[in-house]
Amino acid sequence: MDLIANLAHGFGVALTFNNLLFCLIGCIIGTAIGVLPGIGPVATISLLLPITFGQPATTAVIMLAGIYYGAQYGGSTTAILLNLPGEVSSVVTTLEGYKMARRGRAGAALTVAALASFFAGCVSTVLVAASGPLLTSVALSFGPADYFSLMMLGLIISAVLAQGSVVKSIGMVVFGVALGLVGTDVQTGQQRFTFGIPELSDGVGFVSIAMGMFGIAEIILNLEKPEARSVMSGKVGSLMMTREEVRRAIPSVLRGTTVGSLLGILPGGGAALSSFGSYMMERKVSKGRHEFGTGAIEGVAGPEAANNAASQTSFIPLLTLGIPANAVMALMVGALIIQGIQPGPRMVEAQPDLFWGLIASMWLGNLMLLIINLPMIGLWVKLLAIPYRHMYPSILIFCAIGVYSLQNNVFDVYQTVFFGLFGYLCSKLRLEPAPMLIGFVLGPMMEEHLRRAMLLSRGDPMVFVQRPISATMLAIGAIALIAMLLPNIRKGKDKALQE
Amino acid sequence: MRSVARRSVVMGIGASPLLAMGVVAEGAWPSQSIRLVVPFAPGGTTDLVARLIAAGLQEKLGFSIVVENRAGAGATLGSETVARAAPDGYTLVMSNIASHAISPAVYGNKVRYDPVKDFAHIALVVSNPTVWVANPRAGIRTMADVVARAKSAGGLQVATSGAGSSNHLLVVQMSRLIGTEITHVPFRGAGPAMQAVIAGQVPMMSDSLPSSAAHIKQGSVVAVGMCSAVRHPSFPDVPTFREQGFPLESDSWFGLSAPAGTPAPIIERLNREVMALLQTAEIRNRFAELGGTPGTYSAADYNSFIIREVAKWAPLVQAAGATAD
Repeated sequence: MDLIANLAHGFGVALTFNNLLFCLIGCIIGTAIGVLPGIGPVATISLLLPITFGQPATTAVIMLAGIYYGAQYGGSTTAILLNLPGEVSSVVTTLEGYKMARRGRAGAALTVAALASFFAGCVSTVLVAASGPLLTSVALSFGPADYFSLMMLGLIISAVLAQGSVVKSIGMVVFGVALGLVGTDVQTGQQRFTFGIPELSDGVGFVSIAMGMFGIAEIILNLEKPEARSVMSGKVGSLMMTREEVRRAIPSVLRGTTVGSLLGILPGGGAALSSFGSYMMERKVSKGRHEFGTGAIEGVAGPEAANNAASQTSFIPLLTLGIPANAVMALMVGALIIQGIQPGPRMVEAQPDLFWGLIASMWLGNLMLLIINLPMIGLWVKLLAIPYRHMYPSILIFCAIGVYSLQNNVFDVYQTVFFGLFGYLCSKLRLEPAPMLIGFVLGPMMEEHLRRAMLLSRGDPMVFVQRPISATMLAIGAIALIAMLLPNIRKGKDKALQE
Repeated sequence: MRSVARRSVVMGIGASPLLAMGVVAEGAWPSQSIRLVVPFAPGGTTDLVARLIAAGLQEKLGFSIVVENRAGAGATLGSETVARAAPDGYTLVMSNIASHAISPAVYGNKVRYDPVKDFAHIALVVSNPTVWVANPRAGIRTMADVVARAKSAGGLQVATSGAGSSNHLLVVQMSRLIGTEITHVPFRGAGPAMQAVIAGQVPMMSDSLPSSAAHIKQGSVVAVGMCSAVRHPSFPDVPTFREQGFPLESDSWFGLSAPAGTPAPIIERLNREVMALLQTAEIRNRFAELGGTPGTYSAADYNSFIIREVAKWAPLVQAAGATAD
């Protein structure tokens, strides 16, 4: 009953003209920056922060939140149309989404991405409202050992991602981990693999790698094969999803929402894991698993749902503990502090307008995004009809601007060029970039949690099996590994026997 | 636009003081927008305070102040761009304990500026005391408990926002003082560290007051000791380290600086405006909530303060083994 009264109160706050207006502005800006490759929500929010000074705190946060989840929506557009991921989550969307676009199903891919995001956003918003405080205690029960084991599990299952040679994909994972280790060691402050370049002391930029390996490399490949391009621009296809596609997407959306809602609660890495996790799951369990790698709709629906669910539930640590889970949240904390509100454990009781107003606005914002995005799909798909010789220079320029805006540093642009060339080389050698990115994201986090767990257990490795959460993760990982290896061994034997 | 900027850079490198003076004499400063470089990512305390100050200053100066985040390499990348910028009063930096005291010691000759000689320091904006907080269930209420736990068989673990931070160096100082190793558990930033303390994974944290203040007020952590000269007005119940028998003081601070050679009238004007801004009730209240103390130094005092800080931290960085070489 309380929940309904509180939600009603929240909608009362969110439905005022001013708040609705700023929610809409936030969603539109978010969609726009999501669509522009590389320009992320952090750069945008920090630019727009001064605008919020004049607004009440609730209005400010509603707008900033709109930019944040609007960018998640918009990010999938360039991932699907141009193979250009701007964030960790959209890397996964490129895998099947871009393939769908190449098959002439860009409209369907964009539609399913929007609908899946909307559904997941609605469900996870209710989850935040109903059980935020309860979920907080789940997040708090995750210690360093548990995080390590969770990521270990993620890395083991990511071997499933291998499309082709397992050895090559393991090689790419390892290379990704090595790239992730570049920069300052968190434990000791030592510089690792920086070759005396100060810009590398905070590590290699994720956006540079992702845009280089996927987007730029793809441009080089397209320029090499003129015939592939004309096929691409010729095939716009029907915008609507077929009944078959709808039927296949629904279970994936449901699974993705569950995975995303749960992983989103874990600060630092949770949201990043969610879309990878959902993709791996779909590859294993969905009906269309045999189509993966050629543009399976499940591979777009699941991860998109997971990513949006996670972006909503990642507000839980901020709202219930006052602890920001990522850079965007940190900026929101900043906006609140400037408004004179100190986010903390009691924000729900102390600032009911803010808490419930934000939750209600998240639901309204998701609805607005759907309304903004669905009619736009036709327009986006038409972009593909633009001759490639006009298209690719503008993509490159936007990429350069976006990457530069991350830290106002030209070095990041050089990095992107480097990874573009490296990505081209990889595709010539048939090396997959996705496992490398998983290694890059998970590797450093695993190392950090491993060393922290060992530090806290005073060097006793038993901590990984003594903690129930950690032990369960490792057990699942071991089972997955065995289940994956057994058929391969059998197959190998069969082959040997035949010969 | 671009050619103007390039010309002023050339002038700056050439015969900076004279020519720059000429520019000032020609027209009143400021006559265009001012760039304020924050050498940290958006969202941190420095970034916040920079934006608060920028909003106040631009009203007084009549030209907009554009905050530009250039994070990286212990806040040295952003500071380096400013050290090399034209000394015309249109490029400023949020100088801070990392970029202008600790990082030069940590990164050694990789830092391509001198924290004192390459800057005209303008004003100390705020200093924040370091506070040690504990999980309420950890059974640590006083500094005596801290020492007892550190000397017990299990030892004591203290979380910080990162290796090489002033919070970390305070753990090193404390270890030396009590003659027992306190295990340092670094995190990526104060947020995750605070979460680990609230969850009880690490019993204690050495933190800058702004990131702890709300949690202390709301009781999710207990303040064990304030590492400053006097008790903090917003937390009068929290005794200092010194009161509890540990003569240590550690404030993190940040202020405003310009490239060396910026004309003195501009520096003086900025110092006056910042000081006036820091006296306004609005800023005072915000700083009090955050747990910070507004600065009162003249430009010359801020300069000699930085000289003292550089001398203070270099040996501690060596002792902590936190150098990046």
